[in-house]
Amino acid sequence: MALSIDSIKSHFPIFIHRPELVYLDNAATSQKPRSVIQTITDFYEKENANVHRGLYELSASATQRYEGVRRKVSELIGAAAPQSITFTKGATESINIIARSFLKKKLKKGDNVVISAMEHHANLIPWQQVCSQCDAELRVIPVNRDGDLSLGQADLLLDKDTKLLAVTHISNVLGTINPIEEIISLAHKKKNIPVLIDGAQSVGHIPMNVKETDLDFLVFSAHKMFGPLGTGVLYCKEEFTLQIDPYSFGGGSIKNVDLEHTEFLDYPHHLEAGTPNIPGVIGLGAAIDFVNGLDLDETATYTKNLSIYFKEGLRSLGNIKVTGNPMNFNGIVSFEVENIHPHDVAGFLANENIAVRAGHHCAQPLLESMGIPATVRVSFSIYNTKDDVDKAIAALTGLKRFWS
Amino acid sequence: VNADLKALYTKIVKAHNDAPHHFEKRDDSRYHIKAYNPICGDRFELYLNHNSQRIDQAHFYGFGCAISKASTSVLTKSIEGKTIEDAITICNNFLQFINQEPVDRLTLTDEFRAFAGVHDFPERYDCATLSWVELKMYLERHTTQTERP
Repeated sequence: MALSIDSIKSHFPIFIHRPELVYLDNAATSQKPRSVIQTITDFYEKENANVHRGLYELSASATQRYEGVRRKVSELIGAAAPQSITFTKGATESINIIARSFLKKKLKKGDNVVISAMEHHANLIPWQQVCSQCDAELRVIPVNRDGDLSLGQADLLLDKDTKLLAVTHISNVLGTINPIEEIISLAHKKKNIPVLIDGAQSVGHIPMNVKETDLDFLVFSAHKMFGPLGTGVLYCKEEFTLQIDPYSFGGGSIKNVDLEHTEFLDYPHHLEAGTPNIPGVIGLGAAIDFVNGLDLDETATYTKNLSIYFKEGLRSLGNIKVTGNPMNFNGIVSFEVENIHPHDVAGFLANENIAVRAGHHCAQPLLESMGIPATVRVSFSIYNTKDDVDKAIAALTGLKRFWS
Repeated sequence: VNADLKALYTKIVKAHNDAPHHFEKRDDSRYHIKAYNPICGDRFELYLNHNSQRIDQAHFYGFGCAISKASTSVLTKSIEGKTIEDAITICNNFLQFINQEPVDRLTLTDEFRAFAGVHDFPERYDCATLSWVELKMYLERHTTQTERP
């Protein structure tokens, strides 16, 4: 049964402790529902043990719950098998694994990797670094003034020497929802180029199915989808799992060790060396349970409508320029206030208990390509309301008065 | 921070942000110092004319928030006509004051005291100190270089 949007806020304890808080920085991290916090507390209070080690009941049950989350993740994203899921520190580490333990050994001089101009630094720097180490070329699909990817350009950039295409599903600055099916089919048709999708802003917020989209790698972080900080996911299509080498070395990732050699476990366990973030993974499981209680089509429409309502309010102020105007978008809005620096806008809103982000949002090249030094970013989640939007618009009206 | 200081902060930061002191590009100036904060993208260039003893003129230009712009404006105003040594002392006084370290009260002008407002907003420390830190490093480097035989 779907949770009702009207009562959803009551599931988030932070709003009980801080009733005045208007939290509009959800693209940075979402707030956590009680069920997630309680699951983590319960684990430490009642179930704490290491996984894949002990023969006693506590350890066996921790292992079972930890491994059980692999199934939950695979079902959330429509993956065929739980064994396609690796637990990582976050989307950033997941991308680094693919860049360094999969792509790097294949890249040679004259090859190229294609990304887009709207990538978060996490989906830019790992590729930029391996390309520079391997003398390969990093190609960038441009973004037009509206904040949409130029698919015609993408078609021209992908060629027989392209070893990977990495694109974000949703821009963390503009809110653009990219047509990933189209992009993936373009890459696959061309030369069967593997595609990595950065799902940090999309998974748990809009429906995602790795089989239907036929993507090859999907990365995301638990903390942006109501889960705990410090836990992330790498999904890898089965045909590539044998091509990924261990990323860091240590216990828990091996079949057999002698002083000269190590025989590693298969994917995904060979990527999970050391004691993993067990409460983080179990907390991610609780976040998925929470998300499964939502109707993602309904919540996506809800947050999108909040952003439309907010943009209408911005237009009525007259001194605001919204960044981009993408064809398909979610609940993220970036804007500039005429003659007032984004930090001053965010500082003013902070005084009114309204939390927003100001700066380049870890996407410096995107803003540079649009000729903007920095923006204010508002990002909505399911617990935000029209009242939050009204408060933000009222504060921006006050700001205009203050600086004029 | 008390209400008086808050009012002072609002008044001085606003005044300097609206009409910054010597806010213009001066490519003809002899010395250019860059002040850049990669976290927020604030980027100023300071233009100085000085000899081994004295700073005759200080201008600045660039992009930044009201606090960084106002503090850089106060900076250019404070160091003009000062000896290099005095300018370093002024930088130290301002930075110590922002960092809530003991400072000689007599050296604190209203324009300095206005920035006590950032004590309530530690996330804005870097905005207030950006240009001061760069100028201090530049001047100290300059003195050590000129002291060399």
